[in-house]
Amino acid sequence: MMARLIEALAQLALLVALAPLVTGVIRTLKARLQTRRGPGILQPYRNLRKLFGKGMVIPETASWIFGATPWVVFVSTVLAGLMIPMVAAEAPLGLFGGALAVIYLLGLGRFFLALGGLDSGSSFGGLGSSREMTISALAEPAMMLAIFTVAIGAGSTGMTEIAGAAIGQTWRFLAPAQMFAFAALALVLIAETGRIPVDNPATHLELTMIHEAMILEYSGPYLALLEWAASVKQLVLMTLLINCFWPVGLQPTWFNFGALSGIGWLVTKLLLLACAIVLIETTNAKMRLFRVPELLAVAFTLGALALVSTFLF
Amino acid sequence: MTSLLEDLRERFPEQVRASAEPVSGQVTISLNGPDATAVVKHLMTEYAARLASVFGEDRVAAEGVFYNYYVFDRPGDASWVIVKAPIPADQPSFPSLAAELPAVNWQEREIQDWFGVEAAGHPNPRRVALHDNWPDVHPLRKDFALGTVLPPFEGERHVYRPTLGEGVFRIPVGPVHAGIIEPGHFNFAVAGEPILYLQLRMFYTHKATEKLFESMPIPRAVFLAESISGDSAFSHATAFCAAIERAAEIEVPARARYARTILLELERIANHIADIGAIATDVGFGIANAHAGRVREMLLGLHETLTGSRSLRGMARVGGVRRDWQPLQIARIAPTIDAVEREFRDLVALIQSSDSTRDRLEHTGVLRPEKAKTLGVVGVAGRASGVDLDVRRDHPYAAYAKLEFRVPVYQAGDVRHRMQVRIDEVGESLRIVRAATAALPGGAHRAPAQPIPPGRCALGAVEGWRGEILHWVRTGEDNRLERCKVKDPSINNWPAIVEAVEGNIIADFPVINKSFNLSYSGTDR
Repeated sequence: MMARLIEALAQLALLVALAPLVTGVIRTLKARLQTRRGPGILQPYRNLRKLFGKGMVIPETASWIFGATPWVVFVSTVLAGLMIPMVAAEAPLGLFGGALAVIYLLGLGRFFLALGGLDSGSSFGGLGSSREMTISALAEPAMMLAIFTVAIGAGSTGMTEIAGAAIGQTWRFLAPAQMFAFAALALVLIAETGRIPVDNPATHLELTMIHEAMILEYSGPYLALLEWAASVKQLVLMTLLINCFWPVGLQPTWFNFGALSGIGWLVTKLLLLACAIVLIETTNAKMRLFRVPELLAVAFTLGALALVSTFLF
Repeated sequence: MTSLLEDLRERFPEQVRASAEPVSGQVTISLNGPDATAVVKHLMTEYAARLASVFGEDRVAAEGVFYNYYVFDRPGDASWVIVKAPIPADQPSFPSLAAELPAVNWQEREIQDWFGVEAAGHPNPRRVALHDNWPDVHPLRKDFALGTVLPPFEGERHVYRPTLGEGVFRIPVGPVHAGIIEPGHFNFAVAGEPILYLQLRMFYTHKATEKLFESMPIPRAVFLAESISGDSAFSHATAFCAAIERAAEIEVPARARYARTILLELERIANHIADIGAIATDVGFGIANAHAGRVREMLLGLHETLTGSRSLRGMARVGGVRRDWQPLQIARIAPTIDAVEREFRDLVALIQSSDSTRDRLEHTGVLRPEKAKTLGVVGVAGRASGVDLDVRRDHPYAAYAKLEFRVPVYQAGDVRHRMQVRIDEVGESLRIVRAATAALPGGAHRAPAQPIPPGRCALGAVEGWRGEILHWVRTGEDNRLERCKVKDPSINNWPAIVEAVEGNIIADFPVINKSFNLSYSGTDR
């Protein structure tokens, strides 16, 4: 019992502490590729500190939903993060739910985010909410199919079992089903984290925004919570991707001497994935909004192919 | 030239009085009354003339009338045609042309706002320049003192066309925007993502520039002209100086004409490259903007070497340029231009190699040639939509008559072609700068200062990087101005954005807007 608690606390700390760093690393790498110096990898932490110290402006038209949204989004995202394997295959809250719980906790956060955007009464919030819902309605099934593919291999939708089954099978990701599922989940990752070519996290143009448009009316600590939650969500999805498909260095449990090397492997793999994301962001322009569903249809098809091919090969 | 006047006199003996104030490079036709409709139509049909600008002037104190001026440009003739129609002070009204010529819609309403002269029969006679909450004043009238302090604004807000229908929403954007953008209000009606229509509201940065021109000596007014639109500082100042020079018959020395050409083209290159980068940014292709910024910086450094100012300020002067260049300064031009050309080629290759960028730009924000022509669109936006106009070629000024260059014209009218016009023009401008630098003659860099005779009217025109810039002046006593009308190309082109965005999705509006890149400050003055 005590061990479980420490595990959960350790993963919680890792999740919330590491997430802004990942964001910072991606931004800095992107700046370097654009021949800019960038504000440094610690800037997201400084932003959070600054925002937590600020006052808030809350729209007069807003109801309780506006205030509840940052908390719901943050807590649901962190809970989802505790249900996935990070350093060890054993997810601290794995007992409470598996892959479906993770997907729907993220879905709950998104639902409230969309409500919060609508609740602010600004036209941009509504615009962002409608776009987010359109995209997630397509991204969610693709994500499910991808995760089901690996779940079938493990014989369980529990994240612990999924990751546990993968340990030791270093080259498993070369199987066709795994590759299709990986591609599907990678596309979903790009869409869900609001990155180019789906959304542009660096834009100031309200009319083109998706995620940023929903949180446009938020300020101060609420904004800090939402930005932090967005970083955590990004980390959760990235970890999910690398630990499901490439579980190199993943330890069976938290409590062995490999925990440190587990963290080391996690950071290394995250860094590699961040590089890939940065390369995609730098070499691509943002898609025309109406072509995003086509991209997600590709993700869905890949997910479906992955599922079918688990039975074929 | 005389043939045009004779023809008009023969055809409209009742209306056409005489040619007034013969000034080189322009033909002025005086009418007897406020109705210019027949003459304007005749000029447009028989001479294929294009109505470039319409503006008013208050001469009530001096002559007991207001004047309306209609500025025309004829294909194949370098001189401007200005039709001048008097409007009696006791009956301040003239028949509107806006119903048939949408191009003059805003300009006629400006005359209403500034002078209190009614554009009778205007299809939408509401205020445009003075916002609805202004009291009933007419600031460009001579009896309105410059320092007048008005009571706090009251009254009704602007009423927009109603947004009705199932699933149709209104999205108001601005006037204050995120990012470093000037203020302007965009009122969209959307059905989901597609834009049904857009309503524009400008004049949030009105600074009474035309009124201020009347309050200062001409040498100081050059600086005011520089600040009309900060990105076209040298173009606006040169257009102003050209108007004064034509009015006072000042002969500009050859060296100054070449120096002006070099600076005008450098301004064009720097702004076009910045725009190309900005269009790339708006579709999320940030790397191209990073490189564009780098190339532009090389040019801004050259600007500073040549003028002491990165935005080419403080160099324009009536009768020439303010400072002469040392051989060391001139020696910097060619190597910088070579380096810019190399880097620019790479930048263009980078953008053209990106399929995702191309996909965003093609068929986005299409302005059809016939619409562009009806709305009187000029400059880059016009040339991308088949409007073959370029003041440099059609009304040569500075040293353009002696230089060779090509004017790119496309018919497609989408964002990609507005970008392509810029890309082509940068190439041409680099050639012009190179040729002008090689041919830079010796001698004086300015004409000796001389008093400007009063009572002269003249037009100055420059092809700024955005398009045709017109300054019309009437000189006054003591080296001052009676009136200075400023026409930035933006005022013609804003209504074209309304046409270009229709049917596009709202997420594409920023890049469409950026591909026009119009000046708010130049519009609002």
